[in-house]
Amino acid sequence: MAAGRPALHRLMRNRRGALIAFGGGAVALTALSSTMAAFLDDGEPATADASGAQQTPQKAGSFANRDASYTVGVGDPNDLGAGGVAATPSAAAQAALAATPRFPTPLSRDPVLHLLRRTTFGPTPADVAEVKQIGIDAWIDRQLDPAAIPDPGGDQVNAMYPYLRLDIKQLRASVPDDKRDDPSRQLGRATIGRQIWTSRQLEEVMVDFWANHLNIQNPFDGGQDNRTDWDRTVIRKYALGKFSDMLLASARHPAMLRYLNNADSDKRSVNENYGRELLELHTVGIDGGYNETDVRNCAYVMTGRTVDRNGNFVFEPRRHWTGAVKVMGFSHPNKKAAEGLAVGDALVRYLATHPSTARYIARKLAVRFVCDNPPNPLVDRLAQAYLQNGTAIVPVLQLMFRSIEFWMATGLKTRRPLENMVATARVVGVKPGADTDKALESMYNSADRLGHAPLAWGPPDGYPDVAGAWQSAHGMLGAWNSHRAMVQGKVRGLSFTAPESLVGGNRNATVGSYVDAMAQRLVFQPLNPEQKVAVLKFLGLADTAKVTDPKLGGRVEHLAPLLLDSVYHGLR
Amino acid sequence: MDFLHPECPDRVADLPEPRTREELLRYGPTEAEAALRFQAEVVTAELAAQKEKWRGGFTRRRIVAGAGAVGVAALGSQLLTAKVAFGAPGDGNTLIVIMLRGGMDFLSVVVPRNDANYASARPTIAVPGTALLDAGPETRFGLHPAMAPLHELWKAGNMAAVAAVASPDASRSHFQAQDCYERGAASTAVRTGWMDRVLGKMGQGTTFRAIAEGSSLPRSLVGTSNKIVLRGIQDFRLDTADNLRDRSLEALRGLYTGFEHPMVAQAGATLEALTSARRVANMPANPAAQYPGGGLSDGLRDVARLIKAGVGLRMAALDLGGWDMHTNIGTVDGGDMRNTLGNLSQALGAFTVDIGPEALKKVTIVTMSEFGRRVEQNGNAGTDHGHGGGMLLIGGGLNGGRVHGRWPGLAPGARDHGDVAGANDYRDVLAEMLKIRFGVTDSAAIFPDHQAKRIGAYAGS
Repeated sequence: MAAGRPALHRLMRNRRGALIAFGGGAVALTALSSTMAAFLDDGEPATADASGAQQTPQKAGSFANRDASYTVGVGDPNDLGAGGVAATPSAAAQAALAATPRFPTPLSRDPVLHLLRRTTFGPTPADVAEVKQIGIDAWIDRQLDPAAIPDPGGDQVNAMYPYLRLDIKQLRASVPDDKRDDPSRQLGRATIGRQIWTSRQLEEVMVDFWANHLNIQNPFDGGQDNRTDWDRTVIRKYALGKFSDMLLASARHPAMLRYLNNADSDKRSVNENYGRELLELHTVGIDGGYNETDVRNCAYVMTGRTVDRNGNFVFEPRRHWTGAVKVMGFSHPNKKAAEGLAVGDALVRYLATHPSTARYIARKLAVRFVCDNPPNPLVDRLAQAYLQNGTAIVPVLQLMFRSIEFWMATGLKTRRPLENMVATARVVGVKPGADTDKALESMYNSADRLGHAPLAWGPPDGYPDVAGAWQSAHGMLGAWNSHRAMVQGKVRGLSFTAPESLVGGNRNATVGSYVDAMAQRLVFQPLNPEQKVAVLKFLGLADTAKVTDPKLGGRVEHLAPLLLDSVYHGLR
Repeated sequence: MDFLHPECPDRVADLPEPRTREELLRYGPTEAEAALRFQAEVVTAELAAQKEKWRGGFTRRRIVAGAGAVGVAALGSQLLTAKVAFGAPGDGNTLIVIMLRGGMDFLSVVVPRNDANYASARPTIAVPGTALLDAGPETRFGLHPAMAPLHELWKAGNMAAVAAVASPDASRSHFQAQDCYERGAASTAVRTGWMDRVLGKMGQGTTFRAIAEGSSLPRSLVGTSNKIVLRGIQDFRLDTADNLRDRSLEALRGLYTGFEHPMVAQAGATLEALTSARRVANMPANPAAQYPGGGLSDGLRDVARLIKAGVGLRMAALDLGGWDMHTNIGTVDGGDMRNTLGNLSQALGAFTVDIGPEALKKVTIVTMSEFGRRVEQNGNAGTDHGHGGGMLLIGGGLNGGRVHGRWPGLAPGARDHGDVAGANDYRDVLAEMLKIRFGVTDSAAIFPDHQAKRIGAYAGS
């Protein structure tokens, strides 16, 4: 072989291509021996589809073939005890109250509390007062128009984390080289801060929902300059908008293209990762009716979408695979590389409006808002609304709140670790303090140890949203310990309410009524008789003893976390 | 990045492209192979600098810089994460997986005897045949003398090895190869780790699932099975004053009384786990067990405590860094290999003494490393990244005292770009082990798209 420089160059360029093809996860090339990995000729890499065109996606190694607890929940999917649609959410709530739940739980059936548990990150006394004052229907309408809600809490968090406002170009210009992980750090902390303090709670719940649906791990390798922009311009921008708009934006965003390797995919070496997840996770779902050929074609259509040297999205026609493509019911001649971007957009629109997608997203929404195994009539109804409204999400949510199933599902969701921590912070009333950033960092690390740091889930399928996936002694112990940390002011940097101030002082009150008042304040309902006996025994005080010291001789800072340890705070 | 040798090319963020044939050939014996290697290093170098910072979920505990007159690779031996999963008490065997990070030079550990290719490839760093520990009926190989604490195990049939082991990853990159080993599949579309999938197959209903010490979750355990993160078993406790602890636990028991709900069972399990953890933390060490000190020792001591406490330990994963011996691998009398392999051997030896021979029968220890190293030594009395490596197997149920699998030999024609060929897939070893020792027969679920072949390391395979 000639030893001159041009020859070296050519040699290395091809080997690099080979290496990217093998190292960067070209899924079609499976089970290679080490000797095969060596030499590839100039030109086409091996395109032999080892997986087989007829193979079903379930066999190809999808996310569906995992622990069933990921998708299966409690109860029968067909009946919560009552169902159907009412004219307004409050009418649906009334109808539900009149019916008997098939799966009763210890939680109070008060519709106000139920609504707050599902549409916020945890009820607070102020929230309860607001809903009672303006009514369920008006409160829901208000939350579905977040821009009209003054948001001093959210604004304060935003002000702490300026990187989150910057776009890709601005970030590259302003973040120092040795601090390139700072934007992602800020995003993780800001997310917790917003969940605790924003007034636009339902919007924030939807942001969390979509961030997990189109999951991109934060931080991830290749996302230093784009992951925060993704959060702002794809997730938050369309959280209460249209899913098709969100999906179109996601298919052009450097974060997604890098995270799922589409930026490396090109016509000579197609990387199927994005093409597969677009079908399996983002739209129609594993049972949506596609096969491996569809996956391959989807990947072909998406070739060319990549990231330029400045970290911005660019469509490169010379990388785009041309030729007739068919993905389920979508087909296109795809003759001209220059039109490849439009072909991709057309496919994305097709997928976003596919009935399987409607069902897939409707079910996920129902799992988030109703119960782990939602009734089929409810899911069908929501899917229909999704399609009839051109993938707009607000009408789907409105229909869900008018569905009797929603109001029958009191207490059927379990708080996951971060949800428990944030609900604790909200109900105890922690506020920003002397070093809020440090406190949020500490909360982030605690959540991380429990496996639930916000946005940190690695695979593209997002955090599991069912109780079975989170059952662990470790998680429960972590929640119990976080209750103590929050009540006792151990999370440095925040402003705390002293536990004795949680209930109004009434010097003539008995210990028993004090405990009742504290329970009402923290978990919005009384303890059952056995629980109350256990708590009084812990305090070492008699039910009828008079309260002379609101601190109960130092016991109150242990009483409050104990109440939060109960089932009433662990469910939502 | 802490398990990497300071001069490991994977560290360098900015690799200069070779401009002459001579510069290119620094990377490999032929141009094509050198180009492959150079590209591997370019790709990984670009990833490495950021990847280290980004390994949020997968970071190793950082070693303290400047530890004085300790060999660089030996510093890595302080690097440890221990991950532990519990099954129902009284259940069968315990799996302990030790990931040796950095690329262990298996040719220096299980050393070919009377092999002219070996001798000529390593003129100054070959382990002399006279120094090797006798491997009994296995005459093709001998053991590095630093493995003396494990020699009795080998002779008694409680230890075996598989050589020329590789994964489908051909990149010779630490990160990609480790990732491939730990996810248990060629395709990067597989996002969980193989150990997580095994946990899934082992069934639920356990109080603990997996423990990670420190703040990391190993790649092999990523997945849906629940994990615990602790800094040692003593950290699994209710965060309250000591004089309130018992009373608090009793109150918690009372809070979950008088109604029915799945959380009642979960609370019961949590309270039981807290009791178990206290029992384990108070378990005395076996004075006969002479642990050498360091992170691996601490982890194995913890694991031993868990086994002795009988709380139903099923799976533990530990890792040990410091194997990336690009320079000055040392001699049988001293140096990086002696120190690191010695530390590993002493820790494992102490562990087997700690738990005792009866318990050892129910334990299965497996070591893995992301790749072996090149057959030929480099210009710095060390070796560079290779391909085929090896696995050490310790515990019950082994066809012990032998080196299993296909041994392709070290003749130039048998090598894979100058490296030991990957004649045995690590998944074959693991699948066989999982089937025979743990009754996990659905190896396709653990290792997707892989047809497991028989290795014969475990009795009854």
